[in-house]
Amino acid sequence: MDSTLVDFIQSLRHHGLPVSPAETLDALQAVAAIGVGNRERLKITLGLTLAKSLAHRGQLEELFDRFFDPPKTSASPLIQFDAPADIDTPAAPAANSIHSELGQLLLRNDQPTLQRQLVIAAEQAGAKDMQMFLQKKMVSNRILMDMGDRQLQKELRQLESRQQQLQLVAELQQQRQQLIDTINDYVEQQFLLYSRNRGNQLSEATLQQAKLSNLDSVQLQQLMRLVLKIAKKLASLHSRTRKVSKRGCLDMRRTIAANAALDGHLLHTRWKSTRIERPRVMVICDISGSVSTYARFLLLFVYALQDVLPRVRSFVFSNQMHEVTSQFRELQPEAAISQVIERWSGFSTDYGRALQDFSALALSQVDSKTQVIMLGDARNNHDLGRADIWKEVHNRAQRVLWLNPEDRSRWNTGDSIMRLYAPYCSMLETCNSLRDMERVLGRLLKYAN
Amino acid sequence: MSRVTPTPFQSPDSIRQHFEQLGYICSDAIATAVYLAVQLEKPILIEGPPGVGKTELAKKTAQLLNSDLIRLQCYEGLDEAKALYEWKYSKQLLYTQLLKDKLGDVLRGAEGLEASVERLHQYGDIFYSENFLEARPLLQALQQPETAVLLIDEIDKSDQEFEAFLLEMLSDYQVSVPEIGTVRAQSRPVVMLTSNNTRELGDALKRRCLHLYIPFPDAGLEQRIVATQVPELGDALREQLVAFVERLRGMALKKVPAVSETIDWARALVLLNVQQLDKQWTEDTLNLLLKFQDDIELVTPELPQLLNEINNTLPGMKN
Repeated sequence: MDSTLVDFIQSLRHHGLPVSPAETLDALQAVAAIGVGNRERLKITLGLTLAKSLAHRGQLEELFDRFFDPPKTSASPLIQFDAPADIDTPAAPAANSIHSELGQLLLRNDQPTLQRQLVIAAEQAGAKDMQMFLQKKMVSNRILMDMGDRQLQKELRQLESRQQQLQLVAELQQQRQQLIDTINDYVEQQFLLYSRNRGNQLSEATLQQAKLSNLDSVQLQQLMRLVLKIAKKLASLHSRTRKVSKRGCLDMRRTIAANAALDGHLLHTRWKSTRIERPRVMVICDISGSVSTYARFLLLFVYALQDVLPRVRSFVFSNQMHEVTSQFRELQPEAAISQVIERWSGFSTDYGRALQDFSALALSQVDSKTQVIMLGDARNNHDLGRADIWKEVHNRAQRVLWLNPEDRSRWNTGDSIMRLYAPYCSMLETCNSLRDMERVLGRLLKYAN
Repeated sequence: MSRVTPTPFQSPDSIRQHFEQLGYICSDAIATAVYLAVQLEKPILIEGPPGVGKTELAKKTAQLLNSDLIRLQCYEGLDEAKALYEWKYSKQLLYTQLLKDKLGDVLRGAEGLEASVERLHQYGDIFYSENFLEARPLLQALQQPETAVLLIDEIDKSDQEFEAFLLEMLSDYQVSVPEIGTVRAQSRPVVMLTSNNTRELGDALKRRCLHLYIPFPDAGLEQRIVATQVPELGDALREQLVAFVERLRGMALKKVPAVSETIDWARALVLLNVQQLDKQWTEDTLNLLLKFQDDIELVTPELPQLLNEINNTLPGMKN
């Protein structure tokens, strides 16, 4: 039973349920305490120990039904088939001419042994490691061979050529066909259990590494969901609500300790202070023509940031800078992003003008607890870059990050003036795939906490 | 298991029967969870919409175990001084005063500073000792000689730090008090945590617990619950009432009525001596079921139709 449960847990993991070894042990203990007599209760027990959220519970129950639906070795038709008593008499001498193990089993209609052999053979044939549906046929064949089909077929052919016991041969052929159907069903079931999600996982992994500019619009939709998923994951990882400041609450223990030398007179007070300082984040996003292929995703990144961190102000610019914090806060991602793009993108880039706007809008609020993040390619159409403002920002802020969607090799080519801003950045990164995005976001959050 | 299992906890079925005797009607999942919690000595994390009897389950379990229910209500900013232990500062101060007065007696005859300190060391360090320890709920639960039920209510309201702090307690039934050492449970308590899912709980915490989700009960179960809680209510009216509430749950409301609200409503109807669920009575008492004005406004125009549907379906069910 234990190994069956472990198999079940394996299939849960394939479907994305994070089951830890500790939980596996718990489940085994729990099942030992409950027993396996009552199917419903077994399901409840596994749900209690293995699924730790409502969504996972649903998945588990679905999988449970599929998993513990035993391989249907179509017992009933075989029994019907064997039932007529008159076959028994010819079958008895016939059994002598059938020597292969599989043939014997089929003749005896030994369902338990057949089932057991099927499961063992399936394991050897790697039914649990299938990744593509094309493998199903191959695995089924392997199982059939493993169960001794070759000998059986040889015997059947011999009997057929000698024109002996044709009725028996026909029966056996039919039973063999039923067995093949059973095997196919079983393999199909295993495929669904163990590999339905793998394909999915594969494509997500590929998506994460793909460059954002190379994806088509369908993939973009998928990506959008993925970004929000990542943001949510990070958000729940880091969703520490800001604590109320506890100034004014006396820490008696430390006060007494501090005054131990003073004869028990409390002269020095010690206060509890558990204030967590969190940096303010300002994100500036370039949405001009030169980054138009990336703009949507840079904005998505900004949106995700604002979702995850408590104090984020967001700005966008192509030639003028605008604050979009409230739009992002109020609207759903798709709506917010298309609104921003519609209203402000498409103008030619002017970093100088934009930075000037920024200094008017928010520079006074950049202080030593502020992180400034710039998303842009620094392609300025040969205009004045106003790096002096960026320098000022750098001097005031705690950290300045520049995330450039272009590859490093293309920086400073053409009208890119990355070199002007580079000295005034605490961190310079390429950010053009989801993986980059996740990494940067994760690092930022770690820093923020 | 080291613990002797009390009779009602021999099997899930027996738990359910005993709960029923106490007036708590529960599903198989709940009974199984309690059984496993007792057998495996694991905490249960109970989730579900408000008002489905999460806290009640802990109370009834305590009643069944014939033991105390120790309750810790969580909120933002809850720290170990309030959850675990606190020193009795005023007593400690008195003690230092006392010590000062007696110091002359204690040190009499000791020559020099070193000898005095040596003499002082002979007296145990009782300043930080159990005598001055004020046990808060978590420590209380560990100190109980008999198995107690510890209810950590609304764990999702507490901070993440507190959650981390609970881990030691939940997996090993022990806590560390820096000045004293590790305090182990005399008898392992049955621990229940409830959560309304206002924030995602950490994986580490979830991993240590059995996860029980209590949904709204189905109609049959809810009828039995109402029947035990409000036995004065007539059968026909009870069926109407449960069917009505079930329909409300299907509507897009801000807050759907929970079991506790069904029971409140049933009690009100008994008090008002209502025999038949009609439009007037329902309209007048709707505020017992729905807690938002928006919801009430949404439901009121639908009332005649809802009541019609119920009256049409119910006799059919009886046949």
